[in-house]
Amino acid sequence: MLTGTQVKDVIIKPDAPSTLLLEKHADYIAAYGSKKDDYEYTLSEYLRMSGIYWGLTVMDLMGELPRMNQQEIVDFIKACQHECGGISASIGHDPHLLYTLSAVQILCLYDSVDAIDVDKVVDPFHTLFGVAGLSLLGDEQIKPVNPVLCMPEDVLQRIGLQPDLLS
Amino acid sequence: MHGRVKIKTTAQQEEEKRKEREKKLKIYVAARDACFSKRNEGIWDDEALQLTQQLLSSNPDFATLWNYRREILMHLETVKDKDEVQKIYEAELSFTESCLKVNPKSYGSWHHRGWVSARLPRPDWARELTLCDRCLSLDDRNFHCWDYRRMVVKMSGVPVDQELAFTDRLIGSNFSNYSSWHYRSTLLPLLHPESPEPPSPCREPPQSSPPPSPQTHSHRVCEEQLLKEYELVQNAFFTDPNDQSAWFYYRWLLGRGMSIGRSVCKYEREYISALLCFVNHKFFVFLTAEREEMISCVYVNRDEERVAVAFSRPVNAQSVGLFLVLDGQPQRVEWRSVHPRFKQSPVWICNLPPGTISDITNERNLTVHWTEKHTHRDCALYTGRTESWCRDSATDQELFRSELSVEKTSVLQSELQSVKQLQELEPLNKWCLLTIILLMRALDPLGYEQEMLAHFRTLKEVDSMRSAYYSDLCSKFMIENTILKMEYAEVRVFSISDKNLTTLCHLDQLLLVTHINLSSNHLQRLPPQFAMLQCLEVLEADNNAIENLEGVYHLPKLEEVLLKNNKISTLADLQTLASCPKLKRLDLRGNPVTQTANVESELAELLPSVTDLLL
Repeated sequence: MLTGTQVKDVIIKPDAPSTLLLEKHADYIAAYGSKKDDYEYTLSEYLRMSGIYWGLTVMDLMGELPRMNQQEIVDFIKACQHECGGISASIGHDPHLLYTLSAVQILCLYDSVDAIDVDKVVDPFHTLFGVAGLSLLGDEQIKPVNPVLCMPEDVLQRIGLQPDLLS
Repeated sequence: MHGRVKIKTTAQQEEEKRKEREKKLKIYVAARDACFSKRNEGIWDDEALQLTQQLLSSNPDFATLWNYRREILMHLETVKDKDEVQKIYEAELSFTESCLKVNPKSYGSWHHRGWVSARLPRPDWARELTLCDRCLSLDDRNFHCWDYRRMVVKMSGVPVDQELAFTDRLIGSNFSNYSSWHYRSTLLPLLHPESPEPPSPCREPPQSSPPPSPQTHSHRVCEEQLLKEYELVQNAFFTDPNDQSAWFYYRWLLGRGMSIGRSVCKYEREYISALLCFVNHKFFVFLTAEREEMISCVYVNRDEERVAVAFSRPVNAQSVGLFLVLDGQPQRVEWRSVHPRFKQSPVWICNLPPGTISDITNERNLTVHWTEKHTHRDCALYTGRTESWCRDSATDQELFRSELSVEKTSVLQSELQSVKQLQELEPLNKWCLLTIILLMRALDPLGYEQEMLAHFRTLKEVDSMRSAYYSDLCSKFMIENTILKMEYAEVRVFSISDKNLTTLCHLDQLLLVTHINLSSNHLQRLPPQFAMLQCLEVLEADNNAIENLEGVYHLPKLEEVLLKNNKISTLADLQTLASCPKLKRLDLRGNPVTQTANVESELAELLPSVTDLLL
């Protein structure tokens, strides 16, 4: 049957909420990390570093970043950096490009890139690390990248999108 | 009593569920810890295979365990004979298949399967292709499967025309198939390339031995095949005009055979490449509207001893080796972007040391060097002239028109006719309207202006959920047209009043503008990019909805700002105007800010240079 790739517009009902429940979102994320005895949480350990990053950017957009435990997170990242310089998703896991980038993004949010061995991070991955990672680590030859939205700053300017705090 | 089912209470059910999950978690954690500790001890045994299998079956995205498993398998390769290895790896294939059933989009499972297939002593590529067929029949957009299929095709040397026939079948059975169209787009140029041209020095590697891969090939397709493809995709969107995928493929197709002239007007090129995968016989321009990298304008002014440089794309002047030479002498200057927000900007400014060029009786010759790109621009500042500039001339655009061979324009024209025909049959179809607009802009942006506006009006009615997007897009096109008109007229006045503008763009093209008229539009802000209008003297923006003036920042020549009937509401909103030293005339009538207490005295203090204030 020829249905085609139709445009699927969502109809938002007139009585749908018109504001974000920011407090609830912030509470949810703040509490998320303490679910250590949760099955799904444990299963998703393989992407923990990215999960932390996603949670932190949302908190940052809401102006609630201080609610997260910066020291604990930075220590966690340190514990995840391997001999080769790459960073793993969680303690005991193998280093990987994805989680190295997430870790660098987190440290940029906290302005603590020096908590890890930066030279080691760049060296093995150099050509593979990706423009975003190298830019966040301060490479002047590469255009700046916004760590929250993970997009080049000039693109954000051109489309008029700055990650202003939600109020 | 027998036979009676004991009904549990909800609380009890909850408790039972919780206990079950706790148990499940315990088992999982024990297995995981066992795996980790075995690996740390360097053990590669059967138990390790069992444990990883157990965990990966329910959690196939646990990448570290696939790594461990591969370590074990590679070790087994060294201690088992070929037949045993074949058996082991065939069992691996079954295992990955069961993992894929759990999650057909698991990176780990697909990667492992690919790894195994490549190491099998006797691989069965036909079976792998069948697996792909099955998987795609369940989900024809599974990109993991498509990537895997491409790998299998490459490894087993399936001929390109066979794969093309495969896409024929898929598309024939269901036109809507982004992935099939996309795959087809990578195969076509391989099978039916355009006749080879002298290789471009910039990008294309010499074509040596076949088969060329999609990455290195020129992506052009010969005319004959193209016309057949047009027919194929037109069938698709005539049959189902609401199928997005056919429209996108069509837009890609329209760019395949074009050999448009070397000198291209910046706008034609920008949206031709947005619409069509524009391929110029000298430079390859792909999907992104990448312009030739150069300094597009240098402006110099004796009064402020200021030099402004515009680039073809945003740069960071501090790191691209930008330097200034005046009459053969390098100048030490500090480059700054037009607004503190921008570390990357298309426009950069600097001031020369006082007295360097202020003497109007001297002719000066300025050169700006962009060493990173081995390019430069000269600008002569003549005796008796306060200012001077050098930029791309409008003549380039005329060149574009005449170099476009009749044959190629006629292809675009005939496509436009076809889509217009469809539009008559399907007046509510947005894809038609949008494609018509884009084709018209590729053919003759100024000539088709009125028709374009009419189509945008229809588009906004027909697809009202995206009317804001269309308004912004139309604003962009109107700004482009106005810039073209301004360049043809060779004036420095930019007038775009009463054009339903909702957004501003291409502000980097307005570096030389002295007068701008934005009145009677729907603008809400003058964004930081507005500060690129470094020559601006008069800003007319009456009758908008402006509440933000961030971009009216350090404009050294700005004297007049007309903002009647806007939405400026607080004195803080007017703060940036204080950075414009020559501001004399300010019209704020019809703005909420005029109701602020003591507004006159506050403004006198904030903007002392203003002598003519209208409230």
